[in-house]
Amino acid sequence: MKAPRSIRGRVLRTQLIWSLLGGLALATALWLAMQNEVDELLDDSLLSAAELLIGPMLEQTAAGAPATAPTAPTPASAGERNGGGPRFVWQLVRHDLAPTVLANAADAPVQPLASTPSAGFSDVPGWRLYGRALGPPGRMLYVAQSRAERSEAKLEMAFTALLAGLPMLLLGMLWLNMRLREDLQPLQALSARLADFDGLQPHASLGVADYDELRPVQAAIDALVARLARRITLERAFSAHTAHALRTPLAGIEVQLAMALREAPAALVPRLQRVRTAAGRLQHVVAALLAMFRSGAEIERAPLDVTQLAARLPVEGLALHVQATAPLSGDADLVTAALLNLLDNAQRHGAQAVTLTTPHAGCLRVHDDGTGVSREQHQSLQAALQAQDYEGRMGLGLMLADLVARAHGGSLQLPHAESGFTAVLNLGPGPAAAQPLSAIHHD
Amino acid sequence: MRLLLVEDDDLLGEGLRDFLRMEGHRVDWARSLSAAAGYLGEPFDAWLLDWQLPDGSGLDWLRQRRATGDLTPALMLTARDHLGDRLHGLDSGADDYLVKPFAPEELAARLRAVCRRSAGAASHRVSVGPADAAIEVDLAARCAWVHGQRSDLTGREWAVLEALTLRAGRIVSKSELEQLVLGFESELASNALEVHVSSLRRKLGHGALATVRGLGYRVSTPA
Repeated sequence: MKAPRSIRGRVLRTQLIWSLLGGLALATALWLAMQNEVDELLDDSLLSAAELLIGPMLEQTAAGAPATAPTAPTPASAGERNGGGPRFVWQLVRHDLAPTVLANAADAPVQPLASTPSAGFSDVPGWRLYGRALGPPGRMLYVAQSRAERSEAKLEMAFTALLAGLPMLLLGMLWLNMRLREDLQPLQALSARLADFDGLQPHASLGVADYDELRPVQAAIDALVARLARRITLERAFSAHTAHALRTPLAGIEVQLAMALREAPAALVPRLQRVRTAAGRLQHVVAALLAMFRSGAEIERAPLDVTQLAARLPVEGLALHVQATAPLSGDADLVTAALLNLLDNAQRHGAQAVTLTTPHAGCLRVHDDGTGVSREQHQSLQAALQAQDYEGRMGLGLMLADLVARAHGGSLQLPHAESGFTAVLNLGPGPAAAQPLSAIHHD
Repeated sequence: MRLLLVEDDDLLGEGLRDFLRMEGHRVDWARSLSAAAGYLGEPFDAWLLDWQLPDGSGLDWLRQRRATGDLTPALMLTARDHLGDRLHGLDSGADDYLVKPFAPEELAARLRAVCRRSAGAASHRVSVGPADAAIEVDLAARCAWVHGQRSDLTGREWAVLEALTLRAGRIVSKSELEQLVLGFESELASNALEVHVSSLRRKLGHGALATVRGLGYRVSTPA
């Protein structure tokens, strides 16, 4: 069975996804902005380095010294990194027919950084270059920074920004989780209140909602409960009146028959006894029907002794055999009513004998040796029982037996029988599976 | 026993009245609570009360009676078979609760049990009178035994013995006893009760029933 969705889980997931997407978008924007800014900063530093070099080199050039080895401290030494390669390199290149490196920093490449004179900023493979004419025409000073160095600088900045942002994201998630847990507590409180809520009490109400958003929910529940309570009250009153109207005359008939049996001449006694027996069966059916259609009624399940149960069944003209070994539990009155109706059916279909067996726990099989039903009828009955489509497709007996079985959490099955008719009352595994009697009505 | 039956259904009421009379009880039948009110103040061994009556609830009536201190045993006859209803009925003062329809034989047995419990007897066989009289009254079989020999009693004699046995140790006035067992018969013959008491003494022994001069009769329990 699929687990129900969780509001908290969904909100957290959504928040995480949107945070990640937002963070990604923000990081991209930052990255782009940073690229530009860092490029500018690095270019500025490149320019500054070039300015530092140009001064001493110009002095050397003016003094007639070959501008191949400046004596002033070069930015290359100043630009040494603590643990890696140089930040900047420089080359003094003469562009004649072929560019010649006149002087260069120790870490600078041997080949000229630019094949043609290139003043200002430019990009060459692997380097960011700043060039400036120095001294005689065709002589250029190039100060360069490796692409790897620039990328590393940018990555460091991005990584630092990420390190600062990630804890914020985690803290935000934790806070949101706590907040959601706290904010969803009123829902749990509402569930707890609903679990203890007795809508049939006078002026029953769930009370004031903890959150504004819960107000319409509670109002709807209150209205629903009020409607159901009115309905149940009416049904109870109706049920009580119906029970009174049905049971009182039955009690009168029973008492009058008891009197008649005492007063009647001996010849009439068997006839009166049969009438009293039939009245007794009617009492069981009425009791079962009243229990079946009462709101909120639940079965009174108890272990059943099939032999004792059979002894309660007034079946005249029908041999009743009991072969019950497996345990059976159920509501004795309801099961009796179901059996009475099945036995009635059997007699109507010419049965002389009925056998009650318990093929396995919770299952009562009723087989008769009557004429049974045709294959088509049998299929139709089975389909109708499965769909609980009773009306017009079967008599009260099978319908009542099925309702009784369903009230116990099971159902009535009609397995194929070579002869006669077989009905199997599955009374379910136990109380947990049983439904309230009112829940099995089929309109 | 003298019983007050409060039942509005004619078929059931008439049947019960006749059945219980055939069982040897004196039955007064009221079809409504207002009719039942006419019997207030009269002694009864038990009330048989319908819950749902045309002019009110039998249970409410019973609750009112209990509030006045009336402890007459009451058996509710009702169509309500809910566990909650049964508990409500018993908690409201009913001594037993019988759901309609019921076999009248079961009603008679429950009546005997309720009255026996009310009289404080654990068993349906009760010893009465002085120990040497060896009188046993079987409230279920409706007969008496003297020194192990069954004593044949008439219906009226039994009614007198039963009324006094159910009130064993207590003085029962002549008028109360007349109301419990004789009804209109006492108006027809003013000494009817004395005749039955005298007859009982002959059958059970003179010590069985004590006359408390000026007050009434009493059956004692063996010390």
